Amino acid sequence: MTIQINGEAVELGGEMTVTQLLTERKVKMPDMVSVELNGEILSRGTFDSTNVKHGDKVEFLYFMGGGSK
Amino acid sequence: MTMHVDTKLLHGGYAPEETTGATALPVFQSTSFAYESAEELEAVFAGRDAGFVYSRINNPTLDRFERRMTVLEDGLASVSCASGMAAISTTVLALAGAGDEILSGNSIFGGTYSLFAHTLARYGITTRFVETTDVDAYRQAINDKTKLIFVETIGNPKLDVPDIAAIAGVAKEHGIVLAVDNTVTTPVLCRPKALGADIVIHSTSKYINGHGNAIGGVIVDCGTFDWRSPRYAHLKSFYERVRHFAFAASLRNRVHRDLGCCFSPFNAFLMSIGMESLAVRMERHCSNARRVAELLVADKRVAQARYPGLRGHADYEIADRQFAGRYGALLTFRLGTKERCFRFINALQRAQNLANLGDAKTLVIHPASTFCRDATEKECRAMGVSDDLVRFSIGIEHVDDILEDIEQALSKMEKGESR
Repeated sequence: MTIQINGEAVELGGEMTVTQLLTERKVKMPDMVSVELNGEILSRGTFDSTNVKHGDKVEFLYFMGGGSK
Repeated sequence: MTMHVDTKLLHGGYAPEETTGATALPVFQSTSFAYESAEELEAVFAGRDAGFVYSRINNPTLDRFERRMTVLEDGLASVSCASGMAAISTTVLALAGAGDEILSGNSIFGGTYSLFAHTLARYGITTRFVETTDVDAYRQAINDKTKLIFVETIGNPKLDVPDIAAIAGVAKEHGIVLAVDNTVTTPVLCRPKALGADIVIHSTSKYINGHGNAIGGVIVDCGTFDWRSPRYAHLKSFYERVRHFAFAASLRNRVHRDLGCCFSPFNAFLMSIGMESLAVRMERHCSNARRVAELLVADKRVAQARYPGLRGHADYEIADRQFAGRYGALLTFRLGTKERCFRFINALQRAQNLANLGDAKTLVIHPASTFCRDATEKECRAMGVSDDLVRFSIGIEHVDDILEDIEQALSKMEKGESR
């Protein structure tokens, strides 16, 4: 399946959770990253239970610091 | 699982630390954070990777404290500051520049009043002060230059209570950010986001700390405002990069970073310990204050006892609705003259005479000679301050002991004794 991450098309083997996607993409310090899925900010507590699907638009958002939900 | 605020204070936004299992917040007392390669540090500075850099900008201890505050206020992101005043200054400077205006209730804390009326005015930011509880006055004072509406949940020391939901309605009509200072009510009594606030500010030195041992502040972005608004065109580049986090990023990566008003990791540790008992403390603060207010309002030696939980208070109904039947722990009353106030304060045996509020201990102060001493007569009137006014921040001692202390001090004051 294909999704968009930060505007770039990325091929994935299949559906996976946001947590798995962060691991798959080798995101450093994933606990510091905020994730937007199809325009909505995901609460950190839902990363394990939210699946990304074909056609989804995902943004990994970094800004120095954190303190985000 | 959903959590009540009492539980969020203990578990929200923090779990035992990953590498050691430490249940108390670890203090990362380190200025900087090292990377193995220049490429890695470049990626963090460029915003391509997450990471800690320098404790003026970010720090793991501060990050955990900020997350706890974000959860408590049901927000999007938080930025901690060196003090509550630093949090207010940073918020204004992130939203307004020379030639812009902000709109504020006129009964706000004297320190904030001074910042708005004097300091920011020197840099071209004009504050229009309106009657705090007059919702229509806010609507009338808005113009194209207005960048922020600022209110406190309870005016200090006037103890008036603005209708936050109604003021939020005005802010939304005009697409203006509403910031609410929730210091004296805390997330236990009031949830400004649920009333329509876009930003919540705390001086965490008060009830969140609760023990008078550290200064701090925090800004919480509720995540409700659309930062693409042309009124805030200066945030456009931040929006393009981090979307909904535009305001938080503009604080972290620009104004807060440049001003250098960073929070101390050790103070964040103290605040994190303090906040865990906040719900229990607030229950006792509020019940004690209500009992003291009920007795003082009936005492003939005292005039005009003010407390938002008294049915005779002009804003009682708003306070009742906004704070779910609890009304904070600040109360004021008049004793006729400054001399009687000083005799009363000097005669108190346990209440401590100092410039603070929200400590576990009962605190007392004479506002006119202390934190309002630079205000003009007109400004004092707007803040509800007169020369014969005393303010109490009621603590969590046994209420009978607080009442006994007040009774003996009133008695000595009447006899002309002071100690």
